[in-house]
Amino acid sequence: MDVLKPVLIGFCFGWLLQRAGLSRYDRIVNIFRLRDFAVMQFMLSALVVGALLLQVLAALGLAGDYPLPVTYVWGVLLGGVVFGAGMALSGFCPGTVAAGAGEGRIDYLIPGFLGLYAGAVLFGWLYPFVMPRLVALGNWGPVTIAEALGVRPWLVTAIAWELVLIGFYWLERGGRRRA
Amino acid sequence: MNPLRRPAWSPYVAGALLGIVVACSMALGGHRLSGAGAWQHLSGYLGRVVTPDSLYWRGIVPTGITWDVWVIVGGLLGAFAASSLAGTFRIRTMPDRQWIDVFGPSRTKRFVLAFVGSMLTEIAGGIAGGCTASLAVSGGAALVPAAFLFMAGMFAGGIPTAWLIYRRR
Repeated sequence: MDVLKPVLIGFCFGWLLQRAGLSRYDRIVNIFRLRDFAVMQFMLSALVVGALLLQVLAALGLAGDYPLPVTYVWGVLLGGVVFGAGMALSGFCPGTVAAGAGEGRIDYLIPGFLGLYAGAVLFGWLYPFVMPRLVALGNWGPVTIAEALGVRPWLVTAIAWELVLIGFYWLERGGRRRA
Repeated sequence: MNPLRRPAWSPYVAGALLGIVVACSMALGGHRLSGAGAWQHLSGYLGRVVTPDSLYWRGIVPTGITWDVWVIVGGLLGAFAASSLAGTFRIRTMPDRQWIDVFGPSRTKRFVLAFVGSMLTEIAGGIAGGCTASLAVSGGAALVPAAFLFMAGMFAGGIPTAWLIYRRR
């Protein structure tokens, strides 16, 4: 299998998480205390730039196929709630554990990695009892918002940019006022 | 100062660059960027031993050193390179700030909560069908409804948890 490509992608991922400070406990937890918005600034910047670039690559005919996440409303919401609770407890998520371990954090390297592994095995064990029923609830399939609404993807991309830019403007203005 | 050595990058700039990485990973590599996926793909090595006839490891999730596993290997190297070049690499066992003020200096406590918290995120990533990277950001870049539901859920779970931990402060 091609190893160079995923390693290079991972390298950039780890580098950017580390430099944005997302490999820090306080930075992750404080998003949930509404005191540090770097996580949202990072994620939403990535989201809108990624969305635009995907549209451009598709329009140029350069985009290959990629798997779309399936929207099963209740499972996704439940997963999100548990995920947020786990993040607030530990101060990391599966990706930032690698970034924290890479900058020398033993609490990421040992209990972090072991916890992720234990969670993955536990989920695999639970899967047949829980997931087939949960995935069937409110399942919209692997759709994009544009497909679900029957509009052009460009429109959704533009609206996402607009909302995110308004959010960033509001954050920056609010931040300056507090300071 | 040379940006390659600057310890802290603007989260907007770092995020925008990650957006390029995510789009390339999906459109050119055929994979969503994932943190949780690697652990699912490694879970079968133990899981198939514990429950040999599990439907999950037989047909739902591959077991092996997959694309997602190499992404995590790259992630370790990338964070090591970034912190080394910036001079911020340091072996440490506790968070640099805030943790000790709330939970005290006990390393055992940190390790237990780190284990429990990361276990919860990995289980939750399985339930939701992705993590911060593979569902919120990659799914978000594809403008899929699940990404935004997942982010709403993250806050709905994270805010009360953080409040419970920090309410006395």
